[in-house]
Amino acid sequence: MSTFDFGRAIRGGVSAAVLTSLLMSSPVLAAPPVDLSKWSPEYVRSIAGTKDFDTAADCNKVTPLDYKGRLTFWYQGVFEGDPDLLRQYYKDFFAAFRKTYPNIDLQDQALTYNDLLDKFRTALLGNAGPMMVRLQILGGVEFASKGYLQELKPEDVGYATEDFWPGAMKSNMWKGKIYGIPTNNETMAFIWNADIFKRAGLDPDRPPATWDDVVRYSKQIHDKLGIAGYGLVARKNAGNTPYRFLPQLWGYGGGVFDETAQSPTYAQVQINTSASKRALQASYDMYVRDKSVPVSALTNQQADNQPLFLAGQLGMMISHPSDYDVMLDLKKKASGSDVQKAQTVIDNMRYGLIPTGPDGKRAVVFGGSNMHILKPEYVDGGKVDLPAAKALACFWTSPEWSLKMAYAGSNPGNLNGFKTKWMKERLDNIKFLDVTTSMLPYGVPFPTIPETPEIMNIVVPDMLQNALTGAMTVDQAADDAAKKIKSIMDGGKL
Amino acid sequence: MTMATGLVDAPLEAKAKRFGFLRQVWIHRSDYLNVLPALVVMLIVIAYPIYYTVELSFFTTPPSLQLRDKEFVGIDNYVLILRSDVFWRVTVNTFIWTLASTVFAFILGMGSALALNQEFIGRGVLRAILIIPWVISAVAASYIWKWIYHSDFGLIGAVLVGLGLAARPPNLIDSVGTVLPSLIVVNVWREFPFAMIMLTAGLQTVPDQLLRAAKVDGASAWQRFWHVTFPHLQGVSTVTILLLAVSNFNSFIIPWIMTGGGPSNASHIWITHIYELAFGRQRWGIASAYSVLLFLILMTLGYFYVRALTRGEKKEGGA
Repeated sequence: MSTFDFGRAIRGGVSAAVLTSLLMSSPVLAAPPVDLSKWSPEYVRSIAGTKDFDTAADCNKVTPLDYKGRLTFWYQGVFEGDPDLLRQYYKDFFAAFRKTYPNIDLQDQALTYNDLLDKFRTALLGNAGPMMVRLQILGGVEFASKGYLQELKPEDVGYATEDFWPGAMKSNMWKGKIYGIPTNNETMAFIWNADIFKRAGLDPDRPPATWDDVVRYSKQIHDKLGIAGYGLVARKNAGNTPYRFLPQLWGYGGGVFDETAQSPTYAQVQINTSASKRALQASYDMYVRDKSVPVSALTNQQADNQPLFLAGQLGMMISHPSDYDVMLDLKKKASGSDVQKAQTVIDNMRYGLIPTGPDGKRAVVFGGSNMHILKPEYVDGGKVDLPAAKALACFWTSPEWSLKMAYAGSNPGNLNGFKTKWMKERLDNIKFLDVTTSMLPYGVPFPTIPETPEIMNIVVPDMLQNALTGAMTVDQAADDAAKKIKSIMDGGKL
Repeated sequence: MTMATGLVDAPLEAKAKRFGFLRQVWIHRSDYLNVLPALVVMLIVIAYPIYYTVELSFFTTPPSLQLRDKEFVGIDNYVLILRSDVFWRVTVNTFIWTLASTVFAFILGMGSALALNQEFIGRGVLRAILIIPWVISAVAASYIWKWIYHSDFGLIGAVLVGLGLAARPPNLIDSVGTVLPSLIVVNVWREFPFAMIMLTAGLQTVPDQLLRAAKVDGASAWQRFWHVTFPHLQGVSTVTILLLAVSNFNSFIIPWIMTGGGPSNASHIWITHIYELAFGRQRWGIASAYSVLLFLILMTLGYFYVRALTRGEKKEGGA
């Protein structure tokens, strides 16, 4: 096991304090049900299992349990990279909702992260959207700014705004109004294979402390063992890419805009500052100079890194705590001697905090999803069953289900979820959960502007690909990305 | 009677012309009624979208606006496209993709058709096997080939490394230099059975006695192909090439699934670029302008296709 002291790491570092205060700086913050200033693995353990909640009774106050109605609902569901455990919780959730609200005809449709935005945008153009949607955290502002969404705040479904992470609430705000409720929030962690570290001559219990160390370790692993060191991901139109590059970008002191600032203005593009270029240079060094990362990084998603890691062909990667369960699921599919090899990798799987930049800055994307209700004119059929929608929102964002639906891979959007008995059970069952909850205070939300999906899903991966394929130099690729972002922000056409 | 079938003989046609357009419509009223349902469906699902696409191509649709709040910009979108570096890059990719895929699929299809036109044991089985790439789902084929090409643990790489022919797996789809040719190989693999089937049908029209006579006269196999077989295949070859070209111009699944147009736009062709502009970047106006240009190119190809198809009928009519 790792000997890394997460509690100490949490408490240390000026940048962490700044980022924590960023997450707590929302004007709506009053008295959250948990003390965010004390956030540490020990604190999370101390509050787990301290309060009981009755979801049905709570939601009955919002929408009576015998309410008769119909609801169409699209959501970002489980995909190939998720563990079977999560699949089961999704099934359980919908079964429980239907049992609790037997007279609501729920027509739910699950879509993958990469397909949801495209399909939702297309449906809205034809006024054929669902009544309710659960979108990735970077999507809400785009649709709120265009007037597709109804105002929706936690109070509308029986909770308080303070029950949710301030950073998550920020991702639902547009021009001072709230348009959604967080279901789950997450920050990823750094994963490494201790056995590979040992064989490569590295300390098996010490992850790289800085991003420069990641570059160095990746090279050492590749040079010594002939396998990929770090699981770089640079595919276009895949959420995995910004989730893995932005921590690096922020760690080096860069940014797309000033999103790491306490009160970001998003007024100035910073993706081509010298700090940002250093981050891109680090990726270039690993991919081009050292050739120490998977060659397939340009077409890979994280789901492609998982089997590589399990096969002992990858030393380090960034991912969720659920990857441990994914490895267990993948092992079940192995046969013959591969089973033992897979078990060796699982036994040597370690989790640590995301590395810092050269100045000690540690940051990670504050991810998650939010639920939104659409305006009737954009919905197929032209009507929204508001009580049914609120019933579902109440149910999913309840302490119980926001915890269960995030059981393996994320964290509950409703902070009260951390107090439930299921959180206590989860702390015992889900390995390495401490690490990702420890990363939460370092979370930086994506810029809350309508242009974020295009910037994150297309411009940032394009910049990486331009540099890594040699189509452009690092400087040119960063400058090109800055030019594109400026053009987008100016309402640019191409 | 000719009226019901639409087969109007020459004297009647001349007479009908004198009655003018409306009279002709009246004469062919049952024919029009027969095609009316198809025409209505086409107007709804084809004509209106075309009209709307053309209309949209004159508007700008920034990502911060709803589509209904679009702003009129005249021909700015077309000017922007023609001035854009990406447009020219994507256009070059599209022409390489279309030309190479069409030519190689046709040549491979022709070779297979000629080979399978000979009588030998197992011909039927072989023909069925060769048709497999064409009948399996393009999506499934793309995923399979993505795994075959995979730059780290792909089948090709494993075989080459296993045989000692390469120190590490070749970088086929993660390199700007090799990605397009690699995708063309997949496309040719998927399309050549179509050319093979078309040309096999065409080969049935080559008179056997001509080939035998040429053989008796001492013509070589190449001479028999070039001077006897190929002239008989000209019609079907033209149609096959045009259909392949239209299909390749419109080809979306293989490049989108295998690379998403990357890396660094090296495998973006028009149709994938249009998709990204519209659905990824919400530049509906620009994407529509691209679509209009693509439509014009495809209509030109379609015109030649129809001409090739009707050439034979006209010859018969004139004889």
